[in-house]
Amino acid sequence: MSMDSVMKDLKAINAKYQMFHAMSDDVSAGDAAFLFSAKDNLTSNDMETCAGSRILEGYRPIFDATCIAKLREAGGKLVGKTNMDEFGFGTFSTNSGFEVPKNPYDLNRACGGSSGGSACAASVIEDHVSLGVSTGGSICCPASFCGVYGIAPTYGRVSRFGLIDYGNSLDKIGVISQKATDLKKYMEIIAGRDERDPTSMVQPEFVTAYRKMKSVAIPKEGIEGLSKEVEAIFKDAVEQLKSMGVDVDYVDMPSLKYAMPAYYVLATSEASTNLARYVGMRYGHQEGDHSLKFDDYFTEVRSKYFGDEAKRRILLGTYARMAGFGGRHYAKAREVRQVVINDYKRVLETHDAVLAPTMPFTAPRFDDISKMSALDSYKADYLTVPANIAGTPHLSVPCGYDSDGMPVGMQFVADHWNEDILFSVAEDWEKQFDLRRPEVSI
Amino acid sequence: MKIGLECHVQLPTKSKMFCSCPTADCEFPNTYVCPTCLGMPGSRPVLNRQVLVYGIMIAKMLNCEVNDTTWFARKTYFYPDMSKSVQITQYDNPIGERGVYYLDGKKPIRITRIHVEEDPGSTKRTADLTSLVDYNRSGIPLAEIVTEPDIATPAEARQFLTQMIGDLRHLLDIPDDLEWEVKCDCNISVGTERVEIKNVSGLKNAERALHSEMVRQIAMIKAKKKIVRETRRYDPDRDVTISMRVKEFEDQYGYIDEPDLGVYHIKELADSIRISESPQNMILRITSQYKLDPKMAKQLVNTSMDLAVLFEDIAKEFGTQNAIKWVGGPISANWRAMEDRGVTDLARLKELIGDFSEGGITDTQCAIEIKSYMTGQDAAAAQEDSAGLETLINEFLDKNPKIVTDYQKNDKAANQVIGYVMKQTGGKYSSAEVVETAKKLIEARF
Repeated sequence: MSMDSVMKDLKAINAKYQMFHAMSDDVSAGDAAFLFSAKDNLTSNDMETCAGSRILEGYRPIFDATCIAKLREAGGKLVGKTNMDEFGFGTFSTNSGFEVPKNPYDLNRACGGSSGGSACAASVIEDHVSLGVSTGGSICCPASFCGVYGIAPTYGRVSRFGLIDYGNSLDKIGVISQKATDLKKYMEIIAGRDERDPTSMVQPEFVTAYRKMKSVAIPKEGIEGLSKEVEAIFKDAVEQLKSMGVDVDYVDMPSLKYAMPAYYVLATSEASTNLARYVGMRYGHQEGDHSLKFDDYFTEVRSKYFGDEAKRRILLGTYARMAGFGGRHYAKAREVRQVVINDYKRVLETHDAVLAPTMPFTAPRFDDISKMSALDSYKADYLTVPANIAGTPHLSVPCGYDSDGMPVGMQFVADHWNEDILFSVAEDWEKQFDLRRPEVSI
Repeated sequence: MKIGLECHVQLPTKSKMFCSCPTADCEFPNTYVCPTCLGMPGSRPVLNRQVLVYGIMIAKMLNCEVNDTTWFARKTYFYPDMSKSVQITQYDNPIGERGVYYLDGKKPIRITRIHVEEDPGSTKRTADLTSLVDYNRSGIPLAEIVTEPDIATPAEARQFLTQMIGDLRHLLDIPDDLEWEVKCDCNISVGTERVEIKNVSGLKNAERALHSEMVRQIAMIKAKKKIVRETRRYDPDRDVTISMRVKEFEDQYGYIDEPDLGVYHIKELADSIRISESPQNMILRITSQYKLDPKMAKQLVNTSMDLAVLFEDIAKEFGTQNAIKWVGGPISANWRAMEDRGVTDLARLKELIGDFSEGGITDTQCAIEIKSYMTGQDAAAAQEDSAGLETLINEFLDKNPKIVTDYQKNDKAANQVIGYVMKQTGGKYSSAEVVETAKKLIEARF
């Protein structure tokens, strides 16, 4: 399929799956070397950027995020900005101020989140690569639910300049694609130091030469609470890995169960300060009663345009930061982060990666999601959160399909800066895995 | 009574603290701005390292312990001129802590901490009751210096500020003709409860605000009313403080560390920074080293550090007496005139004093030549002027002999001569020159 015909079909595809919030106006690929899309929390100077929030409705940034600029320089054409949970706050992309993307394998199910639109685009569109962002699992979760490959690199590997912040100490930009080989190809373009993001300046060289993965450790804590089908499919995948010459050990990583509460303290504390700037003054919605006192006006705009989950996380984060609690919650959460890092380092001294299913179940139906409490959906992230809080690189590969034909994924976690071994295992896996493309009829 | 100050001064960097926008004044609002200082989504801060250098220099001047590592924090509050609704400041591990600064070389004022932070924008209120925000100032680097409550009176607070600002100006090389505003949060407790007067501009207003608040608190205590812990502001036109809100505690800002900026290891940088002698320390040192009248030491240093350095040069080459006589006398009196003419070469002055000390020229000749060189007048005119001034003063002293006796009790009595001479000559002579000559002539009459 040529890029021009992909471009021609894009509107119809989007009408069916709702992966894009904003789309490129032209329908020709021009002289583009490749087509890509980007999560809507990455700024683009030619398209509206809202991070899934109505409070930024109509906002067009004056600068490109570094990762988008680099892909354009490499000849890429940005075709659309993908739908997501508001500011990244969610697991199913249903907490969006705009359209909710639909699962390529079953339109009544979610794509996962928060980079749901990106995974959907990568799954549905021919030869497509999409930029995602992970704070607590937002790349691997939707990659798993949409049956594609996704990598969240080491924290600091890709410049966050141009990323609309959720939790600055956790946010990582990565790549989602149908093809494992694409992950390395496009990560090589977007990785690297950028003076405009000081946290990207300490990274070592990005090496991507093949390095065979020889051993993995499966934490007991990572195979608890799985659905029966995920458990069985993962078990088969592990046998397959063994046959590929990978040693498999079962280990204890007791710190993993503390990662979740610590994550929510850190992520919401930082989010509540990041979201303070949205007051209806400088960008996004600015209508409202200008005769009000400034704080009443701010309250009016924020009450009207933030979604429920954004409000919940602002409240949680503000509470965690407040008088008397700062020391108890925020400082404690940072200690837990260090404990989780130490636990990974200990296991990764003797193993190349830590392995577990990416999500404990396959993509849920929208009607089931609407019955879930906020806490239920927070808990669904227990397998992806630990690597995210540790800032270690992690990659999800599709590893099987359940009885409804929904994809299951598994996630490898390597030590900081060791993306190379993740690319290698994903490419080895791809050679022998029978990927079932979703049926895309428009 | 206890008074503690939190003083904010602008650091003289060329670009802002976290972006490359200029810090210069701009005629048009919202011109020196970019995505970072406007807090646009996706922008992030990159630290201007010079801010750390200036912060360390100030910490050293205030005899603080410089922390080996320092980092930044987010202070979250909502106000239209704060573009991110978050101010990047320092909370834990500021640049310097636990310092001490001596008032007049004697009274220690303990320094709690010195940290650096970004300035918000500014709000302009218009006549039709709307407000406009200008972000040109947003992100300009400031140093905040916090003292312990060691200051005893409003006057002492002003004295402290005057001395410290003088030292800071010299340290940071702020040009004399540049307006350099200091803003203070003034904390004062007459009884047991502390009241903070926010954002007072200038030294004089700091003293007046503290005085006004002191009077209010005394009246409250006398009336047996309870003083509440709160934040007030000062209205200089009415000379009163006005309640703003019940005091916010620092915890309520919900500080967290700034995750976009790392930890800065500044030990090596701090070790490499040497600061020059502060004006205040120079006053103290030359007073004792040359057994000077402290007033003269202060006058030399406050006129110009260069003048004080010349004093030391002359003292070393030709003896302290010559330095006091010439540098403390006519050179000091004509210094401003020389500066105004842009003359910086001091070799001729040294040569003249050398000639005098070897007996090559007389006292009067030397004085005339110095004045002529410094003011650019030709020697004959300078002599005539000088003679004219002496005649004028002598006539005045003849008519008012009480000045001579008063002067022996208080040398300020010489100031009476100034008014007279100014009136007679319409400002032909500088006040420094008149005082100088008057003192010489009065002392001759003892």
